[in-house]
Amino acid sequence: MIALLVITSLAWLAFVKPESERHKAQTESGIEISAASPQYQPDNQTEEGFLAGLKQFWAFTGFRNVTSGHLIMILVGLIFIYLAIRYEYEPLLLVPIGTGILIGNIPLFTDGGMNLQVGIYQQGSVLNYLYFGVLKGVYPPLIFLGIGAMTDFSSLISNPRLLLLGAAAQVGIFITFIGALLLGFAPPEAGAIGIIGGADGPTAIFISSRLANGMNLLADGTAVKNLIGPIAIAAYSYMALVPVIQPPIMRLLTNRKERLIRMKPPRAVTKTEKILFPIFGLLLTCFISPSALPLLGMLFFGNILKESGVTKRLAETARTSLIDIVTIMIGLTVGASTQADVFLTKESILIFGLGAGAFAIATTTGVLFAKGMNLFLPEGSKINPLIGNSGVSAVPDSARVSEAEGLKADKTNHLLMHAMGPNVAGVIGSAIAAGILLSYLG
Amino acid sequence: MTMHSLLLAGAAVSLDPLAWTVVVVGIGIVFLSLLVVYFFFRYILTFILNFKLKSFARKKGIDPAEAQTARTIQSGEVNAAIAMALYQYFNEFHDVESGIITIKRVSRHYSPWSSKLYNMKNL
Repeated sequence: MIALLVITSLAWLAFVKPESERHKAQTESGIEISAASPQYQPDNQTEEGFLAGLKQFWAFTGFRNVTSGHLIMILVGLIFIYLAIRYEYEPLLLVPIGTGILIGNIPLFTDGGMNLQVGIYQQGSVLNYLYFGVLKGVYPPLIFLGIGAMTDFSSLISNPRLLLLGAAAQVGIFITFIGALLLGFAPPEAGAIGIIGGADGPTAIFISSRLANGMNLLADGTAVKNLIGPIAIAAYSYMALVPVIQPPIMRLLTNRKERLIRMKPPRAVTKTEKILFPIFGLLLTCFISPSALPLLGMLFFGNILKESGVTKRLAETARTSLIDIVTIMIGLTVGASTQADVFLTKESILIFGLGAGAFAIATTTGVLFAKGMNLFLPEGSKINPLIGNSGVSAVPDSARVSEAEGLKADKTNHLLMHAMGPNVAGVIGSAIAAGILLSYLG
Repeated sequence: MTMHSLLLAGAAVSLDPLAWTVVVVGIGIVFLSLLVVYFFFRYILTFILNFKLKSFARKKGIDPAEAQTARTIQSGEVNAAIAMALYQYFNEFHDVESGIITIKRVSRHYSPWSSKLYNMKNL
């Protein structure tokens, strides 16, 4: 009862009193209230005073504007936060995204197209400005800069053949692309959906912001759908679920003998090799696929900062403060972009289905390719196929899955250092694949 | 069937070859790019580094094979073992102290800087 009284008093102070005073002042000064004014008008114009103010207050509350869609999305956001805290599934991503989903699904008063400049899709709002980084693909290259500054390519340099596993896992992207086309998505939308198979959140956001942003026009004059939210959420959700999705596929495709293969320990790599890798990696890959430049350029730039040894401050900032800031921004805004009316569609369900398929295919092709390579490798140089799954670029989760599965077969066989090779190769591979999709469909 | 849906159906049919082109070229380029990087680091860079080492050895008058052996880097495991041994050694390394506690008497010369005598008004 006390709470009700307090709320009623606050509502009166906030809405009724200022409104009646404004009305009184306007009447005294002879100003007419324009009919075209965007100010909310109660349905019954004759109602005045306390009741009208209360109605106005009620009209602006989330309780009046809530729909079942909002409630479903709020539940999804709470599940994300729960999974992150309870099971520590990618907490650095799921907590900002989950909170973003809650923020994006607070029901707003939008009758008559009113723009309160609050919501993420409302021009001029703070969230809208932050969302600009997603829409224009600003955040993903910055994240790649941080990833480059924290990645050690030693395992890849010491055993460069592992690069091919990173390429094999990208087959999932293109098979999913065909699947999306068959389900009726337009080619640019299908390309953006396919990239989920790359298991790389920033790349998925970068490509969907270019191909499925709701603004580009198709050949028939219609606009592509805005699929940034569903694609990003699917990509990050499945990345968090890598420890659940991959192991059964890995066990299914390998026998015990293959799981017990011991790989040669990687040799130590010289500083010169470490410096030359990002320089030549950048030149070689970007000359072949220039469209991947925003991502690969920043990735290798970050790595040059790290390996050069003379820009420690810059490398430190890129791999700590900068990537943290951008992760907060990207997580929150992507989460907030999942507004119920945009997100809860038939397309989103299809995207989630295709995303699961993409991860499964990428894992399968990675493991099978490792088995295929073993047919040509001499005894003693064979690859444990359990590292094939790491070709999907969910760094470092998929490498951790390889390690865990390897230890299940043999408690002394550590695969983590070997799995990091295809894992970082997967980052390069998925960025190249993204570049190709952009050059064809962008 | 309306003209619009006919146009859309036509567009879908004509897109099929493009889709397959994207798939074939896409997979091909991903493999090609990473293969190029593989060949560069597996063969070309190794060749350049060996060549550099040999010319350095020739300049210094060392046998290139010997220089190669000297350059051979231990595996990560060996390095880790050495690092671990050093870490353990330095962690167990303590200062040896006598255990005798002494109180050292410090004698000071007289200094009037804080003498009360000079701070009091001698009325």
